[in-house]
Amino acid sequence: MSKSDDLARIIIGCKNGDSECFSQLVDVYAGRCYGYFYRLTGNKEISDDLLSELFVKMVEKIGSQKGGSFEGWLFKTASNIFYDYLRDKQRQKKLFEIKGNQSELKSTKTERLEDEKIDKLQVQLKKLDMDTKELIMLRFYSGLSFKEMADMRSEPIGTTLSKLHRGLKKLRELMEQ
Amino acid sequence: MSNQNEENLKDLFEKFLDPGDAEKAAEDIYKAEQYLRENPAPGPADTLIAGIKAGVSQAVLHRRKVNLYRKLAYQMVAAAAAIIVLVSVTARLTEKNTPEKLITASTSSKMIWNDTDLTTLTTEIEQAEDDMLALHTDQNGNGHKDTELTELEINITEIKNNFWKG
Repeated sequence: MSKSDDLARIIIGCKNGDSECFSQLVDVYAGRCYGYFYRLTGNKEISDDLLSELFVKMVEKIGSQKGGSFEGWLFKTASNIFYDYLRDKQRQKKLFEIKGNQSELKSTKTERLEDEKIDKLQVQLKKLDMDTKELIMLRFYSGLSFKEMADMRSEPIGTTLSKLHRGLKKLRELMEQ
Repeated sequence: MSNQNEENLKDLFEKFLDPGDAEKAAEDIYKAEQYLRENPAPGPADTLIAGIKAGVSQAVLHRRKVNLYRKLAYQMVAAAAAIIVLVSVTARLTEKNTPEKLITASTSSKMIWNDTDLTTLTTEIEQAEDDMLALHTDQNGNGHKDTELTELEINITEIKNNFWKG
């Protein structure tokens, strides 16, 4: 049985509410999805939370996955979760600014710097804008085609191609400095 | 991890750029992604995976329960709808039957006068006619004419009352 047949069987099992199939899906995708979240947030704890949220959401929404690429659907969900997290963080930041409570923000920054020391790539990724960074990570971890990515982002394929090329070129320059 | 979708980047870029630039752009992407391959992100901890699997199992159970309740709710709604339809159809049929019942009632009021009653009434009327005839016959020789006439009138009134009483 081929890999895609196996995956198809697992997905059908998940849609039928089979816990074992969900466990298999976690084994298959946890690493890639964790990498996606980690490279975007640069924080292990946040990545842990986002990964857990992704799989719980997957159980809730698996019925809405009708045909098409499963990776496309999964990473679209992951992307939505990430942007929800960003919006929530932005709201909290505004709230702290209003209250004048900066101590919480400082501790978050310290956590981030600790993580950033782990590898040079993470430091350089921080220098890219969020949209470009998300596109690079989507391409790298989801393995989707440019056509699928363009569809997911509701933009022409030329735009996706151009944004990714510009972003990766910049990242390469930063890494070679 | 890139190129697993086996896209030919050079061909793709050639749709938008001239062949020389397309080749360079494809190379830029490949070399930059090489940094991502050489610096893999840390993987999720085993405890996290175990926790996620436990959470997923719970979520599956919860989903099953929700689906069961939803199914029950749909069945109850269907049953309620069937009852409503049944009641409304019955009510409609009852409405249709009501005038017939009224007709039956009025018919039965006519039927209060059965054959025995009619015979009695006919006998009483004949009796009254005989009395009237006897009065006419005794008109010149009988002094009790007035009294008998009054009795006859009382009889007629009684017959009339009995008639309306049914």
